[in-house]
Amino acid sequence: MSHINVPRLAKRFGFSVLLALGIASQAPAQGPAAAYPPYGSAIPVITNTEHRSGAVGEDTQKMPPPNGPNEESIWNMKVEGFNDNQARPIYQPLIVNQNGREIMYNGNLAGTATNALTGVSESNGTSIIDVTNVKRPKFLFHIPGPDPINGSFAAAGAQMVRVCPGSTMPNAAANGIAGKFFLLRAFGNAGANESHQIWDVTEPSAPKFLTTILSGLSNTHKSWWECDTGIAYLVAGAVSDGWQQSGSKQHVYIYDLSNPAKPAFIRQFGLPGQQPTASVATQQPCLNAPSDTCFEGTTNPPGGVHGPISMGTVVNRVYMPYGVGASGVIQIDDRMKLVNGCKSSGPGANPNASANCQNSPTQADLLWPQVSWVTMNPENGGHSSMPVFNVPIPEEQSNFVDGTPQSKSLLFVSSEGTANNCFGQAPHDTWILDIANEQTPWPMATLNVPQFPGNFCGKGARFGAHAVTEQIYPPYYGKIISVSWFNAGVRVWDIRDPKNPKPIAYFIQAPTSNTAASCSTINGVTNCFNATMNDYVEYDDRGFIYAVDRAGTGVTILSLTGEARKAILPQSDQ
Amino acid sequence: MRIQMLVYSVGLGACFLGASAARCADGWAAAIPPPSTDTISAAKLAQVKPGTSTKAQVQSLLGAPWRILQFNDCGMSMPGQADETWDYRGRNAGGTYRVHIEFDDSDVARLVAKIPDHVAGTKGTRAKTAPPDMKVAMKM
Repeated sequence: MSHINVPRLAKRFGFSVLLALGIASQAPAQGPAAAYPPYGSAIPVITNTEHRSGAVGEDTQKMPPPNGPNEESIWNMKVEGFNDNQARPIYQPLIVNQNGREIMYNGNLAGTATNALTGVSESNGTSIIDVTNVKRPKFLFHIPGPDPINGSFAAAGAQMVRVCPGSTMPNAAANGIAGKFFLLRAFGNAGANESHQIWDVTEPSAPKFLTTILSGLSNTHKSWWECDTGIAYLVAGAVSDGWQQSGSKQHVYIYDLSNPAKPAFIRQFGLPGQQPTASVATQQPCLNAPSDTCFEGTTNPPGGVHGPISMGTVVNRVYMPYGVGASGVIQIDDRMKLVNGCKSSGPGANPNASANCQNSPTQADLLWPQVSWVTMNPENGGHSSMPVFNVPIPEEQSNFVDGTPQSKSLLFVSSEGTANNCFGQAPHDTWILDIANEQTPWPMATLNVPQFPGNFCGKGARFGAHAVTEQIYPPYYGKIISVSWFNAGVRVWDIRDPKNPKPIAYFIQAPTSNTAASCSTINGVTNCFNATMNDYVEYDDRGFIYAVDRAGTGVTILSLTGEARKAILPQSDQ
Repeated sequence: MRIQMLVYSVGLGACFLGASAARCADGWAAAIPPPSTDTISAAKLAQVKPGTSTKAQVQSLLGAPWRILQFNDCGMSMPGQADETWDYRGRNAGGTYRVHIEFDDSDVARLVAKIPDHVAGTKGTRAKTAPPDMKVAMKM
């Protein structure tokens, strides 16, 4: 049994008092979320606030149908503020508490638009918006993305952002980074000379370029940066690195960025069957032909990783989704073995690591940190894999097992819908996996949005799941989960009874004159539609919810109301 | 002029009723008084030919675009979403609209559409496309 007992682990590492205090009091300058991943390694404790019969049989508020496609649709949420993001299409948002200021960083998809602050047309890069006053967000700065190559923006954009305070890093004082904030961003999307960069964003209205971590890349994507250790899991590929993937050609480069000005390479990592020495022409699936030259998953070579999520040094796990929208694999890794597995001694080290473990590992090198892996069906891929630990199971607060309250650790996995008008694809959903026993993740429930009412397959743009919220805001943790669902907007579920998750809120942004049209050709006829696409939904450390639009319509800041608000309150206040 | 202001006021009011107040400042065509003539000449637009017009030719005809979009993601070309899109903003008696031009990898226009801002729904706006578009769709 490998149930992830966070309190026990925390006690072992001397954090029990921290957990008992709810951690917020330990937070340094950047706010109450500072103790949790990615800023720290503690995990919020979840208390049961559900009736013992769970969600089944409760009076459930019926989900209202959305308004017409021209209109905003909202249920159990309230619009608090808006910023148009200069009409740039947003991929990933991140909201960071910087010494009491709430700063939003948006990684933008490729293209160009006019920077209203300067009047200059700039290649889409990173938008920086002060959202301290959600009613009046203030656009502070736009860091341009790559210039077009031969007049084409196909390789441009800067979709990904992570920000860490220097103060939480090891050796902050010695490295002169205490009090500073650093932005890690992707630079480029599909070219032959992309990179990952670090910027000093201590003053977010005047960011300063610091360094390029790694260049010559071909497929940067969604990275993760542990702010308490400095370890970063950078997603990228390179034409010359020899790694092999189907679809999105990217794997993981692990760096120590605890001194952001001096990145230190640790190793490259991927799924068995992707390593440079894998014999793609002859290797067989590990599922039914396990060997020392097999590939995991259903496609050969396996699809690239989308975005690792590390739960830090206490939980000691990294969750990796592969495949994005098809032929997915979800991998759970031992963090210590992952980071140190190419060393021959020390914690997590592998005495049998190969000589080329860091750049061209053997299958055995890749298996060293692997705790388990799940093969998804071919029509779905791994886009997000976000764990939530020790969620109380309402019906198991007595009677079952030994009569003591039971909880389950869960993994929320989403697949990305990539087709406009649903044409040519099966539905893409989000699933709850029971990972109480990590070796045998097991499906618990599906989070689904029906195409009717709303006619989401007919209104244009993409319809389907995309990304699961990653920021840990304790009142929401284990109570609700939010998933971006493209043209069906932000979708929120009450997960207090995770076997029976309930839709509890949604927000669908109305199209505006900034909304990019989505065109699709079906049966030889091409039509273009004005429809928003919620690409990501994320929280800040005050509980505001940020919906960002892939179609260029901007950022909408939301709060919970009604039944959704009740779901996060203690039972006595519901 | 009074009539225009009345239209503007009614449109702005409808905007606030139909959507969130926060977003209306940026938003809908209703808040912009329409001109009596088309700001993007129909004659010039008609010269943009899917399958033949290049970026340079389009820029020569219509000027620099208001916005360029490229939705490549994960280094992958999504079916029907891989083209670089040039958006132009225009206004005519019917309200505001965008001219939406998608270019293929060879920098040749593949799709041209004139899309009213205030129209959303399941019908969409018909686009002119180059013949290979059908082949792309079949691969989806």
